[in-house]
Amino acid sequence: MQNRSGGFAIKDEKLTKKPITVFEKIEESLERLNQKMEVIIEIQKNNSGGNQRPAMTLPDASLDVMTLLSMPDHLRKTAMAICRSDRATAEEIAEQTSRARAVESAYLNQLVIMGYLKKERKGRKAYFYVDRETQG
Amino acid sequence: MKTMSKMIAVHSYKGGTGKTLLSVNLAAAFAKLGKKVCVIDLDFRAPSLFSILKGGNVECWFNDYLNNTCEAEKVLVDLSSKIPGKGKFFAGFANPATEAIRDMSAKDRKWEMRALGRLLALKGALLADQKFDYVLFVTSPGLQYSSINAIVAADFVVVATTGDRSDVEGTKRMLLELYTLFEKKTGLVLNKVLDSSATAKKAEMSEKVKTVYHVPMLGIVPCFCEILRAEGSLIFVEDKPDHPFTKIVSEMARKIENNEVN
Repeated sequence: MQNRSGGFAIKDEKLTKKPITVFEKIEESLERLNQKMEVIIEIQKNNSGGNQRPAMTLPDASLDVMTLLSMPDHLRKTAMAICRSDRATAEEIAEQTSRARAVESAYLNQLVIMGYLKKERKGRKAYFYVDRETQG
Repeated sequence: MKTMSKMIAVHSYKGGTGKTLLSVNLAAAFAKLGKKVCVIDLDFRAPSLFSILKGGNVECWFNDYLNNTCEAEKVLVDLSSKIPGKGKFFAGFANPATEAIRDMSAKDRKWEMRALGRLLALKGALLADQKFDYVLFVTSPGLQYSSINAIVAADFVVVATTGDRSDVEGTKRMLLELYTLFEKKTGLVLNKVLDSSATAKKAEMSEKVKTVYHVPMLGIVPCFCEILRAEGSLIFVEDKPDHPFTKIVSEMARKIENNEVN
């Protein structure tokens, strides 16, 4: 009996605390899922025109204004934001463009693959920048 | 809070729309408000600021700054003595020598990309370090590399246009197809307006500008024979403080300063 009532006591405590943490975890997972979905949708949307997926990083290409002009809208927004900052993380770019961090991360990596940006890791953070000096 | 417009590019579709005159007077109007301001000539194809401001001895041209052979502070010439009051007025000149014009027109896209980096670096060098309040770029007309670089680097773009049909059509197309891509804050100046009642019908004209060009209006400048007669030798804001043109440009400066262009 004692065990039982003790068990109940623990359960009661769990009942009051657990749901909140469980909900929080669900919310977190949903948010992550949502971000991943956004990236998948964006990438699919922009790749639907053709199957030109670059398999590897292209040689350095110059991110000049005429290139910016000829870029698809979704990439131009990211490229413009990175042009304005010396170097930035996907999160910092997301703040400027008001889009999801994961979306910006995908676009920034796409711009790296296309040869327009360089990426550098420092600890857990990845910094993106336009390498204007060593090119050419 | 909206961001302040510190770097301003003055651009147009066609030449002869009054970019240089507007830029110099706008800069003088800012200086009159007690600001530290510089005007930089980015029209490397047809430099005109040097002769208009009678540059004198120039240690470095703005071409040299973009070529990375000279620092920004060495390019700027202090012309504050020409301007009464406590404001500061500096200028950076494009080299008017034919050889320099030829050299600038032969630059490749990698150079232009670095030039954009150098223009963006002015935010740190002039606005942050040297405490300039405003940096104005006078650009080449049309879709030139140097002009688009200036538009990308600027926080605010003043587009000057006249009533000429080809100018109206070109400006409309340029605003729609270029400016919207860069999502730039823009203000339109209707220059050399012949209809003398236009300035009185400001609200009506402003609505018209919004419908035709889809950007806010910064100001209307009637056609003044005195401006033509001055042959580019006067800074109206300084030399003719009571002239209506001075009042119009001062009002534009006030609108930019107070972030009222919308």
